[in-house]
Amino acid sequence: MKSIRLRVNGQAVERDIPDNALLIDLLRNGLDLTGTKEGCSVGVCGACTVLLDGQPVSSCLTLAVTADGCAVTTIEGLSEGDRLHPLQKAFIDYGGFQCGICTPGQIMSAKALLDENPHPSKDEIQNWMMGNLCRCTGYYKIIESIQAVADGRVTP
Amino acid sequence: MASLVSVGRPAGHVEGPSKVTGQARYTADIRLPGLLYGKCLRSPFPHARIVSIDTAQAKALAGVHAVITGAELPDRRIGRFFLDKPVLARDVVRFAGEKVVAVAAESMDIAEEALTRIAVEYEALPAVFDPVEAMQGNAPRVHTDTSAYTHPPVPDFVHPGDDRLYPDIPNVVSQVFYTHGDVEAGFSQATREFTHTFTIPPVHQGYIEPHASVVQIEPDGKVNLWISNKTPFVARSQFAAALDVTEDRVCVNTAPIGGDFGGKGSLMDSVVCYHLAAAAGRPVKMVMTYTEELSAGNPRHPAVITLRTGVDASGRIVARKAKLVFSCGAYSAFTPLHTVHGSVHAAGPYRMPNVEIEVFRVYTNTVPAGHMRAPGAPQIVFGVESHMDLIAQELGLDPLEFRLRNTLVEGDAAPLGEKWKKIRCKETLEAAAREAEWDTEKAAHIGRGIGMYDREPGAFGPSSATLSIAADATLTLMTGAADTGTGSYTVLQQVVAEELQIPLESVRVVQGSTDSAQWEVGAGGSRLTHMAGQATLAAVQKLKAGLTAFAARHMESPPEQVAYRAGEFVNTNGQRLALPRLMAALADREELPLRYTGEYVAEDPVEVTSFCAQIAEVAVDPATGQVTLKKLTTAHDVGTILNPLTHQGQVEGGAIQGVGHALTEHLIVQDGAVTNVHLGDYKLPTSMDIPELKTVLGESNAGPAPYAGKAIGEHSNVAVPAAVANAVFDAVGVRLMDLPVTAEKVYAALREKNSATRND
Repeated sequence: MKSIRLRVNGQAVERDIPDNALLIDLLRNGLDLTGTKEGCSVGVCGACTVLLDGQPVSSCLTLAVTADGCAVTTIEGLSEGDRLHPLQKAFIDYGGFQCGICTPGQIMSAKALLDENPHPSKDEIQNWMMGNLCRCTGYYKIIESIQAVADGRVTP
Repeated sequence: MASLVSVGRPAGHVEGPSKVTGQARYTADIRLPGLLYGKCLRSPFPHARIVSIDTAQAKALAGVHAVITGAELPDRRIGRFFLDKPVLARDVVRFAGEKVVAVAAESMDIAEEALTRIAVEYEALPAVFDPVEAMQGNAPRVHTDTSAYTHPPVPDFVHPGDDRLYPDIPNVVSQVFYTHGDVEAGFSQATREFTHTFTIPPVHQGYIEPHASVVQIEPDGKVNLWISNKTPFVARSQFAAALDVTEDRVCVNTAPIGGDFGGKGSLMDSVVCYHLAAAAGRPVKMVMTYTEELSAGNPRHPAVITLRTGVDASGRIVARKAKLVFSCGAYSAFTPLHTVHGSVHAAGPYRMPNVEIEVFRVYTNTVPAGHMRAPGAPQIVFGVESHMDLIAQELGLDPLEFRLRNTLVEGDAAPLGEKWKKIRCKETLEAAAREAEWDTEKAAHIGRGIGMYDREPGAFGPSSATLSIAADATLTLMTGAADTGTGSYTVLQQVVAEELQIPLESVRVVQGSTDSAQWEVGAGGSRLTHMAGQATLAAVQKLKAGLTAFAARHMESPPEQVAYRAGEFVNTNGQRLALPRLMAALADREELPLRYTGEYVAEDPVEVTSFCAQIAEVAVDPATGQVTLKKLTTAHDVGTILNPLTHQGQVEGGAIQGVGHALTEHLIVQDGAVTNVHLGDYKLPTSMDIPELKTVLGESNAGPAPYAGKAIGEHSNVAVPAAVANAVFDAVGVRLMDLPVTAEKVYAALREKNSATRND
């Protein structure tokens, strides 16, 4: 067991966890933050993407102990009350999701992109988002949703 | 249709906020007090006798609350149509991945540890993996006695055929003939005949949410089930039958479905999950890993398709004989029908007076097959449309010209005799050709290929919807159908808003559990916009009539002198009564909320189909065989588009599933076992794999859904593989007869072609 202290969506968290605990299980089972989804379990589909000190990681491949001392942002940390983050609003308005299972991961990856590069080209969006699989949309409307935020067409 | 309030206007998903904030709880997200985690030990053998199972060490592990084997369960088989699958294997395993022992433990780690402590001794049996081999007299029998497997009558909404269930042919589950005209007489008119055989491997639906089940048994025996199943009421029937209890003992609760594409219509782990919960006395959750999904889900049927076609001197098709052999794997339980109903498309959308289609579903020792978006159609259309190009090539005709000579036109009977109205097959193909610039020059190693398909809107029932209005005039539509992501809730919301001429956001849409909603078939077969849409329309019309009667009483006017208009009632004197005021008045006197249930059963067959023509443009690297899909044109003959945003979402998502099917996806089966068992090896398209997509929509008001809508969900995925294979031939002159069209196969075919050329 290891004791870890971290901030999750701005809240201080202290937990004793098994050495082999995965970040995704800490979030989903330990903190009931089930917005982070598990798809492939091998770091390919991107559904479990969260931000670790601002960097996108596959929480299914990340040991929870590596989050010790870090700030974790999950999909639950994006909106402020009922006020949606522009990316969340864009994904609704531009059809960036259908079934929604990959959406938290898509939005977290997109946030990491826009944090690093607020005005990406379409090619840069496509390239960055290739680590997030979506079976419903064929990606066109995901790209459009992100582009809309980058272009300032979406206000929260 | 822009004059309408909601219909025809783009609307984001009504359930959007819950999905983009992570608040939506899918089945795997359900948490309950005392919840245990279930896991199954699966067979490593494709066919073996179970000699012994030793679970003592697993049972002894701290934190393990139940360990069960097939022998401990009632000898009852489960399924959607054929009840042929044991909950856990009994005596024999029939595919690598079949569930043999189930455990429930306090954590997933403990459950997995318990599985390693179970010893199963197997005695391998001869196995058969290829469906054509499985039909031979000396083939190993996957099931030795099928006489105990029950099934309901073949439903009457499927195309009528000569249905033979468990005929006297080795391993054959069903043999079905669809005939029209006189096929031999047709061949006697032919001047040329062509026969080709195509093979299509199994592919997975690729939903990102693996199957999940949660079972909680209440003290009085009532069973609460959460399941990633798109048809909750049908699941309740099958689940209750599997438990041998009446349906009122089971409640299927609601949870969003994380992708379906035809794959989320079975009981999957839910029955074993129930037995674990019963044995442990605690609720149990089971979530499949993606490895379990790929090796033991319910993938699209692999197929071997042979087409024989007779053509007359003018290049017109006079006869088609098709033999379609589908492997259904070790069990037929995951398929909702006796046959693979896409088989009726084996003649394509062409004028063809004499047709005979023979369809086999065959047991093999492989993963059981299930349904996937337009079941059977992509396999068949890959064959049909490749065959069309092969014939055109032999006849020296341009593939477009050969099709245009044979496409259905207004007044034609379809190949199996349907008399569709408003046939726009040729127009759709011509629109695709224009958009794709079919006739323009191409650079070297660039090719274009066509694929065509047609499909009518789903019309099997019943559907129902309940619209309620509360004292504060809020409107809530309750449906028993799950929205698998297609936007069906939003379309139903639009129907209510449209009829009441009120803003979209004033209508809530909720999915009811099987205890709270009215019976509803649910999602599948491109039916919801039509069937649930009509049921919703019926509900809102009842509500309007009911409220108008109340308003008339309140206004002291004869009901026929009161009309509803955009949120208020108006009588012939010009007196007006706003809906909230009426509701406030009713609050004192009536029992609120008022509820109106609409029901819909399609009594007449639908009269229209929808045509789809797709053209792929590829670049092939002759040195490596690498195929790049540069552009995909998808042209559709559609009805009134109720929601352009979600309609286009279906077109785009389907098209890219077609791209995966065409270029990268296949479950690689070796010695009966799937070997590409994670999403790194099973290659779904990514955002980097999508072509320039051109959509052409030919809209007409000719569908059976409200406001003359049709269906769009199962169109754009179907003909892409054929279009890509035809484009590859056009680019470099090599013809692939099996999917997917990988660089390796194209490279090998190019080498063969080049060495053949050198040897000439």
